[in-house]
Amino acid sequence: MDRRFKVRLEARFGEQLTGPIRQRHDETEMRIGPGDVVAILTALHDEPELGFEFLSDLAGVDTGKVMQVVYHLWSETTTDWLRVVADGLSRDDPRAPSVTFLWKGAEWMEREAYDMFGITFEGNRDLRRIYMPPDYQSFPLRKDFYLADDAARSPGGGVRPMERSHVPSNAPSKALVRQIPT
Amino acid sequence: MTTTSAPSDDPRIELDRDLGVFEPVPPYPPRTEREAEFYTLGDGQMFINVGPQHPSTHGVLRVVLKIDGEKVVDLDPVLGYLHRGVEKLCENADYHQAICYTDPLEYVSSLFTEWSPVIAFEKLMDVQVPRRAEYIRVLSSELNRIASHALFLGWMALDLGGLTPILWSFIERDEIVDMLAALTGQRMLFNYFRIGGVNGDLNHEFMSRLGDWMSRAAEQIEAGNGLLNENEIFVRRMRGLGTIDAKTALRMVMTGPNLRASGVPFDVRRAHPYSVFPELEFDIPTRSEGDCLARYLLRMDEIKQSLRIIDQCLHQMPDGPVMAKLPRLMRPRPGRAYAAIEGPRGQLSTYAISDGTDQPFRMRIHDPSFIHLQSVGLMMPGHLIADTMAVMASLDPIMGGVDK
Repeated sequence: MDRRFKVRLEARFGEQLTGPIRQRHDETEMRIGPGDVVAILTALHDEPELGFEFLSDLAGVDTGKVMQVVYHLWSETTTDWLRVVADGLSRDDPRAPSVTFLWKGAEWMEREAYDMFGITFEGNRDLRRIYMPPDYQSFPLRKDFYLADDAARSPGGGVRPMERSHVPSNAPSKALVRQIPT
Repeated sequence: MTTTSAPSDDPRIELDRDLGVFEPVPPYPPRTEREAEFYTLGDGQMFINVGPQHPSTHGVLRVVLKIDGEKVVDLDPVLGYLHRGVEKLCENADYHQAICYTDPLEYVSSLFTEWSPVIAFEKLMDVQVPRRAEYIRVLSSELNRIASHALFLGWMALDLGGLTPILWSFIERDEIVDMLAALTGQRMLFNYFRIGGVNGDLNHEFMSRLGDWMSRAAEQIEAGNGLLNENEIFVRRMRGLGTIDAKTALRMVMTGPNLRASGVPFDVRRAHPYSVFPELEFDIPTRSEGDCLARYLLRMDEIKQSLRIIDQCLHQMPDGPVMAKLPRLMRPRPGRAYAAIEGPRGQLSTYAISDGTDQPFRMRIHDPSFIHLQSVGLMMPGHLIADTMAVMASLDPIMGGVDK
């Protein structure tokens, strides 16, 4: 855990953070709004005292209430992984800016997040489905997607009994969405 | 025949029926800017469809090439033929089961794909792994790295039309795989790493096979390399092919040998050390050319470093337990963990979220093959169709990992 890194981040991005900076093991986590993604990631990438030139991972997350885009970054200037969570994307129409202007290689990761969660990355010029067929309708990694129901609509949608465990057949539909406590 | 526009002097073959499913142009209007640009033909250009069943695609990959004569102008990889939804399956399995779902991602280096979720789960549960278990992990996975690189060498030569190297490299690989089978009980999908340690201590058969092999490994691998290193046809074909410079490689978020061949000394084992790598001595080979030959030679240098690491592991192996004491049913408290390791193809990482139940709430798997495959499009323009296979082979993608 790099305590001084936390202080540096707070000093630089203090007002743009939407939550406290958390540290655990070798990870530092900061939460920002989707509107600040471009400004903050550009600053992290370009400013020599931060120097996060390396995008380690880009992931979509559905928390059950909101959507998130999670960036993991690496820099020489700290011993921690930096996790930037763009929080609070609406589940009905999740939108986040693309980071392909900084890392061209994020293009396919964004396509994957679009394919699996339906997150629209504005500025990505190739945002089409990458794994699922082009005429596929749902977004498989969303928490309201149940293999038993949604996959059955697509051809050959057989489901093994093990995967049904989360869906009590008599539960009301609202309660089905698994959520994480914030 | 197709919906493409072609110059009027182009002699068309008249077909009395449709071409079928693998017609290169998709049967729907373009969805994005890039797709519209790609599927519009310029003067004298045409499409050619490679795959999904093609021996050089290392799995089930379809690539649409846009060609001008014999030269590739652009290409569009079409993925998803092997998509199994591993992330979703992991969300519906408990923490122990999730590990074995990650095994077949990179099916030639399974120990690595197990390792990153195992570290992530250990972080979620604040588990302290016994030192002997860490050494066994490093030892077995470095063996697996050699097996994977040996296979890379064989496959690449096979894609270029050479049959001998794959027969030679399978000798090495088979010996290593037999060793690991003695250790783990499986030849390919090991399922050996557990949360908190490994499944079973080193045994006599493994150690005697390893000692036997170590005494002649360096020599044997050197002899195998001589087949290609000194082969003028091979070297002249690979040199200057598929070049990518350091800056572009970083922009394409490449990792592993492919990034180091462009001159960036980034290795997760040193950049963000995990396990017992801080205690071990090894170099990070880099090359500056960034072409196919550099990527090949760099992997051969890595094999030597892996042998060094194995040697040190054998000398420094501490005594003690190989598993931490843990409850059978694991319910980590809500939290998030990220773990990255250096696999034979690059950085493999897992981002796991726990919601307090015995199943991961979200498990993101980042696979280097997926990332590297998208930069083929940058390397290819201007090269010949036959070189697509060479470039793709030099990046060493495994489709199990690309399609997840």
